[in-house]
Amino acid sequence: MSLEIGRRSAADSTAADSTADRAGGQPAGPVVAQPPAVEAGTAKGGAGRGVAGGPYPPEPVRQPVSLTLGKYSALLLFALFIIIFGALKPHLFLTVSTFRLTFGEGVVTAVLALAFLVPLAAGIFDLSIGAMMGLSLVLINWFAGNTHIPVGLVCLGAVLVCCLVGLVSGFLVVRFRVNSLIATLGVSQVLTAVGLKVSDNRQITGAFSDRFATLGSTNLLGVPVVVLYLLALAVILWFVLEHTPVGRYLFAVGSNPEAARLAGLPAERLVYGSLIASGGVAGIAGVIYSMRVGAYTADSGSGLLFPALAAVFFGASQFSRRPNVWGTLVAYFALAFGVKGLQLAFGPGTFWIQPLFQGVALLIAVALASRQVAQTRRSRRTQAAAAESGSESESGAQPEPVATGEPRAPAP
Amino acid sequence: MVSNGEVETASQEDRANVPALDIRNLSKTFSGQVVLDRVDLAIAEGKVHALVGQNGSGKSTLIKIVAGYHRPDPGGSVWVRGMPLQFGSAAAHEAGIRFVHQDLGLLLDLSSVENLMLGLSYPRGFLGRIHWREARRQAQERVARVGLDIDVRAPTGELGLADRTGLAIARALPEPDQGRAVLVLDEPTAALPAADVDRLLATIRRLRDAGHSVLIVSHHLDEVLDIADQVTVLRDGRKVASADAADMDRDTLGRLMVGHDLVISTGRDEAVETAGPVVLGLEEIAGGTVAGVSTTVRRGEIVGIAGLTGSGREVLGAMLSGRMPRAGQVSVDGVAVPSANPAAAMAARLAFVPGERARYGTFATLTVRQNLTMGSLRRHVRRGYIDAGSERREVRTWVDELGIVTRGVDAPITSLSGGNQQKVLVARALRLSPKVLVLDDPTAGIDVKARDQVHSIIERSADAGTAVLLVSTDSEELARLADRVLILSHGRVVRTLRRGVDLSPEAIDHAQVSLGAP
Repeated sequence: MSLEIGRRSAADSTAADSTADRAGGQPAGPVVAQPPAVEAGTAKGGAGRGVAGGPYPPEPVRQPVSLTLGKYSALLLFALFIIIFGALKPHLFLTVSTFRLTFGEGVVTAVLALAFLVPLAAGIFDLSIGAMMGLSLVLINWFAGNTHIPVGLVCLGAVLVCCLVGLVSGFLVVRFRVNSLIATLGVSQVLTAVGLKVSDNRQITGAFSDRFATLGSTNLLGVPVVVLYLLALAVILWFVLEHTPVGRYLFAVGSNPEAARLAGLPAERLVYGSLIASGGVAGIAGVIYSMRVGAYTADSGSGLLFPALAAVFFGASQFSRRPNVWGTLVAYFALAFGVKGLQLAFGPGTFWIQPLFQGVALLIAVALASRQVAQTRRSRRTQAAAAESGSESESGAQPEPVATGEPRAPAP
Repeated sequence: MVSNGEVETASQEDRANVPALDIRNLSKTFSGQVVLDRVDLAIAEGKVHALVGQNGSGKSTLIKIVAGYHRPDPGGSVWVRGMPLQFGSAAAHEAGIRFVHQDLGLLLDLSSVENLMLGLSYPRGFLGRIHWREARRQAQERVARVGLDIDVRAPTGELGLADRTGLAIARALPEPDQGRAVLVLDEPTAALPAADVDRLLATIRRLRDAGHSVLIVSHHLDEVLDIADQVTVLRDGRKVASADAADMDRDTLGRLMVGHDLVISTGRDEAVETAGPVVLGLEEIAGGTVAGVSTTVRRGEIVGIAGLTGSGREVLGAMLSGRMPRAGQVSVDGVAVPSANPAAAMAARLAFVPGERARYGTFATLTVRQNLTMGSLRRHVRRGYIDAGSERREVRTWVDELGIVTRGVDAPITSLSGGNQQKVLVARALRLSPKVLVLDDPTAGIDVKARDQVHSIIERSADAGTAVLLVSTDSEELARLADRVLILSHGRVVRTLRRGVDLSPEAIDHAQVSLGAP
């Protein structure tokens, strides 16, 4: 920090001489003639520059309040729902069991959302996640019902099969250059067909041990254990996406695939990897579902696709303003509590509310985010124009407070 | 904004002496920062007026104000042939001011007819169908007016850059019955090779002779002196000079732009060619417009590649970086580098700075730091995660060493000027401590000072023993830096110019042109 303060004052002093005498030779040393030598340290580099420059250190980027609010709109919405429905139905809504239920019910979809998030970072859409979860579920139920293989192994196998399907999607996207949207849509239909064939279009239920069902239904320290599974998975994905080279490279591929390849990144392997990971995570969603519910029906996976996508897109407008783990989870549960509150407040006739609510919330959130992006662009452009004029000056050391793409500490 | 008393009298002036475009006392402040400071600029009717200045001098802001994109500070005004210009997007167009921006704004998949007709109404035939034959005739007429002879039915993407620029100008021009235009050309020659530049300048002269007035923004001093009747120099938002081009020379102009003497390096030591061992070997490289290029680059040597667009010069860099597939052998210290594999090229310690920065170089959504270290994070990875502190420290040393002007290492890359973004890409290549550095037009579209800095970075890295291959459209750059320049034509090396023997910018231009455009 002290270095930065020093720099700024250097800029100010050059500003003083440049206003005094612009045309004349600058005692601080002509930049063009003598760029800092390779071995020259910071001091010389600093002195060599900032001469021809504008006298005004650029101002830090100012964000309109609405932007800052927008970044946390999911959290605000969450709080708002708690307050409104808490006030309307305090005895129904503000209960431990409602919270446990809503969080517990949401886990599977939230895990699916995380499955969608990973390839999205690399600019790849994986629409097969719902069907993938269905596949995992039907495999687990069939093997648990028709064989004596230990259920743990069955679950592991189901997840691996899902990874394998992700590999196939990757092959289609990378090798055959099929648009990821189309490739995974096609794959999802094939998977749906597999599910229908295996289940013979009937509900199938594996013979699960009680212990297996307990793994999905107990509470640990008062929290449904599945929520802890979700949190563990979220922490792992957050760490990988925000703090490892792989995560950095995924976002780079998502930002500019051609430049990523030219920067020496294994762009194709990253695409493969992200689709395999999303398959695996969707497979895990299937495992959790079978722990909680058990039975497979043909529509158990596909119905969850939309809420998962909505959470990811809504979440991508939050916090760092790019697809991110905590934004996704907060967005998902904010919506889930909204739906739960509406159902409790207006009774059982409101089963149609969930899709309506999720659709409208997604549209509003993304429309707001797009408007914010436009605003940010506008303010960036203004600043760029300003910076252009002052770009030769030693820039102020203010780090940019907007979404810099910088992994930032998330609010859970 | 413009209705003060002075206005009324001004419009009474003798029409003959009224400038086509008269900018008075124009200032612009962005969040407390003065970008333009009381600039006056008058473009005489039927003349070519050049506006020069480094990036950041305020040229773009000035043009954006005239175009109605920015609003000026109170007190400034713009007059078009004696009439005050209201600031707003449509006003400039109605007043007869036409803009051709650097990116031209052409839709490359559409034909020239369709591009010319954008925003206009097509001639209609039976049942309202488009009367294509008539539309083509009109289009042909329009391109003929700028001296262009092209097939207007072909997709615009198939045209060369000079023809595209001509097409964009043809689109900007008003119909003959709508009177004369004030044309504003924003760096029209930035990406053009020398011979194409001459054609474009001929087009501009033709427009001037037809009575249009032209404001041309440029970095290239030679062409400014060649084409302009008057020159205005901006520096740090102020007008530092406005004079007849005839009274100016390169050195004066350069000095006015930069504010002190431009020091052109006197050239590097001769005879490096025979000194070091061969590091980079190219053997019969072919693909695209390249038909067969062989050469070697020694340790510490800078070899330049020149050629008109279409000669193979424009794809050679892409083939060496691995962006495009190629035939033929590339070797670094005797180790073969596979085709179309950038990562393998980097592993062989061949680093490159790709051309077309935004398309092939930068990650617009990431920060300076993330852009700079992209591709090689290994030295900052501790137990699997990125040690952001150590990464920042390294990036800071590069920012200092290359003089990258940025708000901080975590500023978005897009907040930097083009020249500084380019320096980030150069740093990305240099931090691999490469044996071979391939640069593809590294100073295209960046300002004089940044260009100079990039040049000295290239020189220093060659002096430190890197073998450098410099592909460039800038003859002066090649003559300044290279020990040897290979002139390409029809995909082959047709001539080699050597430092101390026959290498000069003029010789490069001459060789490119005389040895045959493709």
